[in-house]
Amino acid sequence: MASHWPPPGHFALLYFAAASEFTRRSVENIPAPIHATGLFGVIEQRYPGITDKVLSSCAVTVNLQYVDLDGDDAADKDLIIQEGDEVAIIPPVSSG
Amino acid sequence: MTSRDAQIVSLRNQIASCEVQLQRLRDQLLEAENDRDISSRDTSGQISLGLGEIAPESLPAEASEGSSHQQNGDKVVKLWPLDKHEYRRYGRQLIMPEIGLTGQLRLKSSSVLVVGAGGLGCPAAAYLAGAGVGMIGLIDGDTVEESNLHRQILHSTERVAMPKVDSAIASLRSLNPTVKYIPYHTRLTAEIALDIFEKYDVILDCTDTPASRYLISDACVLSQKPLVSASALRTDGQLMVLNNPPLPPGHAQGGPCYRCVFPKPPPAASVVSCGDGGILGPVVGTMGVLQALETIKIIAKGIQRYSDFDSTYLQKGLPSGNSVPDPHRLSEPPSLLLFSAFSNPPFRSIRLRTRKAKCSACSAQTTVTREALKSGSLDYVQFCGAVSPVDALAATERVSVEEYSRIRDGSIPAEDTKTMPTEHILVDVREKVQFELCNLDGSMNIPYSIVARSSSSESGKPSSQAPSEDDWVAQLRTLANDKPIYVVCRLGNDSQLAVRKMKEMGLDSGGTRWIGDIRNGLRAWMKRIDPDFPEY
Repeated sequence: MASHWPPPGHFALLYFAAASEFTRRSVENIPAPIHATGLFGVIEQRYPGITDKVLSSCAVTVNLQYVDLDGDDAADKDLIIQEGDEVAIIPPVSSG
Repeated sequence: MTSRDAQIVSLRNQIASCEVQLQRLRDQLLEAENDRDISSRDTSGQISLGLGEIAPESLPAEASEGSSHQQNGDKVVKLWPLDKHEYRRYGRQLIMPEIGLTGQLRLKSSSVLVVGAGGLGCPAAAYLAGAGVGMIGLIDGDTVEESNLHRQILHSTERVAMPKVDSAIASLRSLNPTVKYIPYHTRLTAEIALDIFEKYDVILDCTDTPASRYLISDACVLSQKPLVSASALRTDGQLMVLNNPPLPPGHAQGGPCYRCVFPKPPPAASVVSCGDGGILGPVVGTMGVLQALETIKIIAKGIQRYSDFDSTYLQKGLPSGNSVPDPHRLSEPPSLLLFSAFSNPPFRSIRLRTRKAKCSACSAQTTVTREALKSGSLDYVQFCGAVSPVDALAATERVSVEEYSRIRDGSIPAEDTKTMPTEHILVDVREKVQFELCNLDGSMNIPYSIVARSSSSESGKPSSQAPSEDDWVAQLRTLANDKPIYVVCRLGNDSQLAVRKMKEMGLDSGGTRWIGDIRNGLRAWMKRIDPDFPEY
């Protein structure tokens, strides 16, 4: 995927590996701001079924920083994804 | 010239050649004797080489033997820290400040375990052997296959069918015979992991399944070993240095483990192997080479140990007076390197968090214990979900390759049809790129990825992402609706799911048209019907 600058009022969402295969795209723009914990819901709306099949095991990064959204006491549960952020969905790759 | 003349000429040449060699040996002997005399004169005044001056940090016991002196009669012979050939062999990295004498001695006294001798393990082990790691263990239960050779660079055409571990060690030995190689002809299991890991300083995960990734990570946490983990599929790769520094579970200063980054395994059905998904040699090679690089960095810098941290530092996260960890030895902050060969930029480095407060392996709340691991009570395969072969169709919905071959010949009529025997539709659901490699005459290609994405009419309105009532469905509907449809794929899994989907879409005309698959796919076709059909 090319370096990507989202238009005003949006953040860039990058999909890697299995996530990009499911969505059939490597990047798209999503309206900002949103709660980080609401991210999977937004993606699920666009790609029904993706949460169970892909997202549930994925790492999420915001501006090249791993964010922890797992569980009620997750370290980044209050994080807001802002306009211009680069968010990435990174599924584990296990083969080699 | 008679044959005797020829013999005489040949013998003269051989003698001349031997004399040249003899002279060379005499010169070398003389040189060596001179060197010895000079060095014993030098050391009579200055006793210690003072390795400590060169390498102020503690050196491995074995390596520091080199600084001692041996009495040789009345002469004192100085020993260099490395063998003479080692200065030559490793000279190009020795002169770099990142390695230097200290780093080389650390490499020499270190041991590395490479789990998996495939696309990652081959390049990783090659560079580690080349760099002079003292001992390299290789663990793999597979044998070399022809389809491995485009990326598994230690194996070779003449070693197909040989155990991968033996093939790899044969190559490594010719690359660097001074390294000690330990073969393990087995797949890594939970029961044996700790006993093996304990013999090594750094572990490399070069395996290819989610289950082995969790097992190796857990075993590294329990045995307190740094883990260099990499993976690759198609054009993408991932690299992480985990559990570094390798502190016991519950110590916040220890590096995160695989479970901290990926607490939940991917759904088993979504896991794609290189055999199914494909892999580009240089992509997996890049990741393996980077594993070797990270390993060399960790070792040359000196692995941080529990003893490098005192309790004050561990508890408050602050260095205390007399045991401040050397800043040059501090581990790099943990990161996840993503490689996408066809993207721009191709590399992205993600900063990872520290150990997860509730990690089931490396936190104070760990449930992964040595006992649980050794007893085999942690079922990694189950944790990651066993992949059972697809069994979606009834026997009446399937034909063998033999039956289908006879249907093609016209020697038996196609299922449930009164039309001409050979009149049927053959749908190949492999991806287009595979279909183009080879296909059966008369087959039409509808990739399973497209079939799977189609929503059946019963499931309501088509989603905005899916194109309106899919071309492939319309295409099949327009073909005579009484012709049976045979579905084939590579191995016979996707074909079953495609048949299910087609029936959901109503392509069986309410049950009047037969739709079924060809059992075990084109692989079986090649094995049992047409040995010339390409296998890939």
